[in-house]
Formats: sequence, C-alpha cells, structure tokens
Amino acid sequence: MKAVFLLQWRKFYRQPLLVLAMFVLTIIFVSVSAAGGEDEPVFVPVYTESMKQEQALEWVERLNDEKQFAFKWMLPSEARSYVAEGDVPQAVELMEADYRLLVGREDPARLALDSMLRRVYSEELRFENAAQDVPEIRELMDSALSDPVLKLSAGSLQGNGDGDKLQLLFGMTLFFVIYTIMFSLVRIVDEKRTGTWNRMILSPVRKWQMYFGHLGFSFLIGFSQISLIFLLFRYAFGFEMGDRFWLLIAIAACYTFSIVALGLLIISLIAKPQQLSAVIPIVATGMAMVGGAFWPIELVTNEVLLTVSKVLPITYGLEALTSVAVYGNGLPSVATSLVMLLGFGGICTAIGIRLLEWRSVS
Amino acid sequence: MLETDKLTKKFKDTLAVDDVSLELRKGESVGLLGPNGAGKSTAIAMISTLLKPSSGDVRLHGKSVLKDPGDMRRVLGVVPQKIALYEELSAYENLKFFGRLYGLSGKKLEQRIGYVLDLVGLADRKKELVKHYSGGMQRRVNLAAAMMHEPEVLIMDEPTVGIDPQSRNHLLETIRRLNREEGMTVLYTSHYMEEVEKLCDRVYIMDHGKVIAQGTKEKLKAILSDQETVWIEFDQSYPELFKKLSEIEGVQHADADERSLKLIIPKGMRLLASLFHEAERHGAQVTNVHVQTPTLEDVFLRLTGRTLRD
Repeated sequence: MKAVFLLQWRKFYRQPLLVLAMFVLTIIFVSVSAAGGEDEPVFVPVYTESMKQEQALEWVERLNDEKQFAFKWMLPSEARSYVAEGDVPQAVELMEADYRLLVGREDPARLALDSMLRRVYSEELRFENAAQDVPEIRELMDSALSDPVLKLSAGSLQGNGDGDKLQLLFGMTLFFVIYTIMFSLVRIVDEKRTGTWNRMILSPVRKWQMYFGHLGFSFLIGFSQISLIFLLFRYAFGFEMGDRFWLLIAIAACYTFSIVALGLLIISLIAKPQQLSAVIPIVATGMAMVGGAFWPIELVTNEVLLTVSKVLPITYGLEALTSVAVYGNGLPSVATSLVMLLGFGGICTAIGIRLLEWRSVS
Repeated sequence: MLETDKLTKKFKDTLAVDDVSLELRKGESVGLLGPNGAGKSTAIAMISTLLKPSSGDVRLHGKSVLKDPGDMRRVLGVVPQKIALYEELSAYENLKFFGRLYGLSGKKLEQRIGYVLDLVGLADRKKELVKHYSGGMQRRVNLAAAMMHEPEVLIMDEPTVGIDPQSRNHLLETIRRLNREEGMTVLYTSHYMEEVEKLCDRVYIMDHGKVIAQGTKEKLKAILSDQETVWIEFDQSYPELFKKLSEIEGVQHADADERSLKLIIPKGMRLLASLFHEAERHGAQVTNVHVQTPTLEDVFLRLTGRTLRD
C-alpha cells in the first residue's frame, strides 16, 4: 500500500497543476466575491419643493436609519442636475404624505428603493394617525421595544455580512475540492487502461492495498486543500470562523471521505477517462447548485430539489460547517450531519469497490 | 514446470480459447504463434492468473494455481503487449515503484534497478521521462519492469509490436541472452514468424482459439519436408495470372501479394516450365524466382490456409 500511496505523490510532484488550479480558483472566487459584497450603500439625492427644510431633514434622518441607502438632502436644482448628468440613476422628492422618484436611467436598485420608501412612509403615516388619539404613542412604542416581553430573533445567512462570506468560502471550497478528489481518482481508471493495474495485481500487493493506496492519496490531497484554504482565510484574510476550528477540520475530513467514496462509485460506473472528464463537472456543479454551495439552501423552495439535496454529501458538509462557524454550535448539533457523511461514504465505498471488481472479472 | 490443461475461455458467445494444453519445461524458450485474434493474449492472461478460465487448469510444478495464484505470481514476470508504465515518470522511478511492489528496498533495490537498466541498455538515460522515450525504448523499460523481481518464468505478449528494427533486435537479443545465459524460462507470443524462429526451441501454433500444431521448429517444418516453397516476383500485379498459377495441378497452397506469389508445391514438381509459359501468355515479366525450404510461415499457411498477417 505504501508503494502505491507514495507513487501518487510522485505523480503529483510531476503534475501538480490540476490540484494547484483548484486551490487557487477557490481563493480567487472567494476573495473576489467577498470583496464585492462589501459595497458602500447607494447614494440617493433627496429634495423637496413643498416641505420646510427642518421637516425634510427629519425625514432624511429617518430614512438613513434603514442603512440600505445613503440619502442626502440638497436643493431641487442640485438634485435634478445630478440625475440629468447621469451621476445618479434617480433622486427622491419628499412630500407631506407621499414621495416621488425622479428617474434618469434604469437601475436594478430602484425596486428596493421604492419598496423601502413605501414601507417607511406607511409606518410614519400610521404613527401620525395613531398620534391623533394617543399623542404619546412614539414614546410608548420606544419604551416597549427597549424592554420587550418576548424576544424573537430570526437568523439568515443572506444579508448577514460574515455569514455571507463564510457561506461563500465553504461553498466554493467544498465545490472545488470535488474536482481535485474525483480527478485524482481517475488515475485508477487510467491504470486499468494502460495495464499498470495488472502489473500490480501480479505483484504480492493485495487488491485492497492497491485501492487504499489510491483512496488514501485522494483523501489526503482533498483534505489538505480544504484545511489549507480554511487556515488561509482564517489567519491571512481574517475570516471569523468561531471558536471551534478543530470541529471545522473534523467536518472537512468527513466530507472529504464522502466525496472520495462518491468518486469511487462514479469511476465504478463509468469506465472511460474521456467520459469521466464530462461527467465529473456535471456531478460537481449539479451537487453544488442543489446542495447550497452557490447560494444558501434556505433560498431553495422547490420540494423536489430539497428532497434531492438530502442525499448529497455537500448539503450535510455545508450545514455542519455553517452551524459551527456562523451559529457557534458544537459537536452535538452537527453529529447527525457527520453520521450522514460517514454513512454515505461507507455505502459508496462498498458499492464502488464491488462494482469495480465485478466489472474487471466479467 | 508450467503447464495448462484443456484451458478454455468463453466470452458470451465467443470461444476465445478452446481446449488449449501447453507445457513449459525449465530453461526452455517456447513460442506461441498465431495471427491477431487467435487467442494468444487470452491464453497468456489465463496462464498469468489475470483471467479466470471458463474451464481447464493451469499448474505450476504440478500444483493448480487457480485457487491460490500467489506462488505463480511470485515466479512470473509478465511483459504485456501494451506499454504498461507511468509515462509521466522516469524509467528509474518506474522501476523503483515496481521493485517496491515486490518488497525490494534500499541497496538491493538500487542494485536491481542498475542491473535491469544495464540489461536493456538504458542506464545512461534512466532519469528521462518515459513519455520522452521512443517506442523501442519504452518497450525495453516494459521488459525491465517485468524483470525487477528476478522471475523464473518470463511471459511476453507480443513485446515488439510497433517498434523500429534496431530496437527489436536489441530486445530479441536481450531475451535470447536471458534464456541462453541465465536459464530463464520464456513463453513468447508473436505473430512475427522470424522472431519465434530466432528465439524459441519449441513452438505452439494457435488459430481460432485452438492449438493446431506443436513441436520443435524442425518437427513442424518436417510437416512440409516433402514440399518446397517457390516465391515468384513480377514486374507488376497480374491477378488473373496469379489465379491461373494457383490452379496448376500439384500446387498445394498459394499466397498472392501485390507483385509476388508464393506457392507451396511437392518436392521435385516441375513448375518452372508452366510458370514461364503462363507468364508469357499473360504478357507478364518474371523478375525473380526463388525456391526455398519451408519456414514456419509456410507451415502456418499449410495448416490454416491463411498467412499470419491475415
């Protein structure tokens, strides 16, 4: 087994490009996408023709509380000039009980701006109506909100800065490592094609040692890739991954095992390297899309896709990683996911080796 | 030393090897001769324990190796028809790996690598990647890899396919040396007659999965002892003339090439008069006539009605 295992490293030393490419691609994707997620709020000029300046400034302050856009009060002529010269796609005209959008060009953020303005205006108008019967309504509301009877918090990765970045990091890392592992396993198919596998069979090395030499290398190269990327983003890029880094590494090991096993199953079903080159990207991308590597699984509502995701190791890998790194959970919370990953790996390994042997005998 | 007993292999409806019984005695060089598709490689795969026979047995020193192939594999060196090497590694790295598979390590491993590299004449180019070698050099490393564990029996499956004459000669010379000087038992399969004639003491001829003849080269050629081969060359192709000559009374077998015709005739038959007469009638010019004693190729032609190239 040692000879077969060492041979894989020697071959890696000669042809390291694929593994390095997957490593670098993960870093590039995560870095670029994470940097893109930290944009400043969109600047929106605000003016009024019917309100007093103090009243308008109060509105601007209220709107800026939302933090989604950066509203700035200015004279109508100045705001119009901004829009006319194309410096901003739109401006907002404030009115007593309504608002108006001055649009210069199409902008994807307009829907969100309009929706936010409508919400804030409705809220304020409701307060004003209520204040006619209960003048101290605002004070009562503030006091009730500062000391609530029941606190309810809802968490989501979307829109949560660190959560978004970690989702991206975990998703891309688990996605790209599928390529590294599966393409390293294609070597078994190559060995069978070239005849070196038969040479090994004729030697005193046992079959299980041949398989474990290959699988051991694929596991180690995949596990190293995930671990190095986690270390790099934690210590070099300052990603906050919680206090249980060791648990993230343990999850990475279980996930790697399951992907190695899945790879073995795939090569047992598809014998030609050319076909594998086509199938591996389909499997990797499909799994990543359905399993939540490209976007949080919470966004998927289709029942069929959600059911499919329950049989994919990447779903459990991501679930466990985000549970530990984002929500600070410990081993008991991710135990089910880890058992699923290990179980999946065990079943795929058993079927894969059985099929490979069956095909070589028949 | 090594024998097969009624070895048979059936793939679905195809009988690839049919009732083949062979015997290899210690130190001898045996040829397995036959055209492509004759069943040689399947037979070799069963003898080397890579493929389970549908029926029959393979025995080493009288003991069946089908259930426990370990003993057989230890004494066997197999040179496959394909170049079974890691082409992204050097010859040295390949040999080191195959040596390690057999438990060699340290100084012994280095010594063995040095020996086999010398044997195949690649010691000075051992650090080059296999993919940069010529086809002939790759074939030599293919042989060297099978020699790493000092096997007693060397089984070679068409080891010279697709290489240049110089490399082929080097390879054949190496095999001959291993057999004659080091007493290694060799089973050599090929569809190149001259290789088998040059290397082997005894020959098994296979066709359509069966052994159709066997014996020493002399014994096989004796099949045609009362015959001789006439090889006639013309200035161009004359299909009608070739057909006419093949039909001359007494001609036992004919094999036409583009501009030549080979006829097997009874010894003493007066063919030349008819030959020149027919040639003149067809306006053909005979450029060469050669009468020779039969070769194994002629034996094969006689036995199967086909040439080894068919």
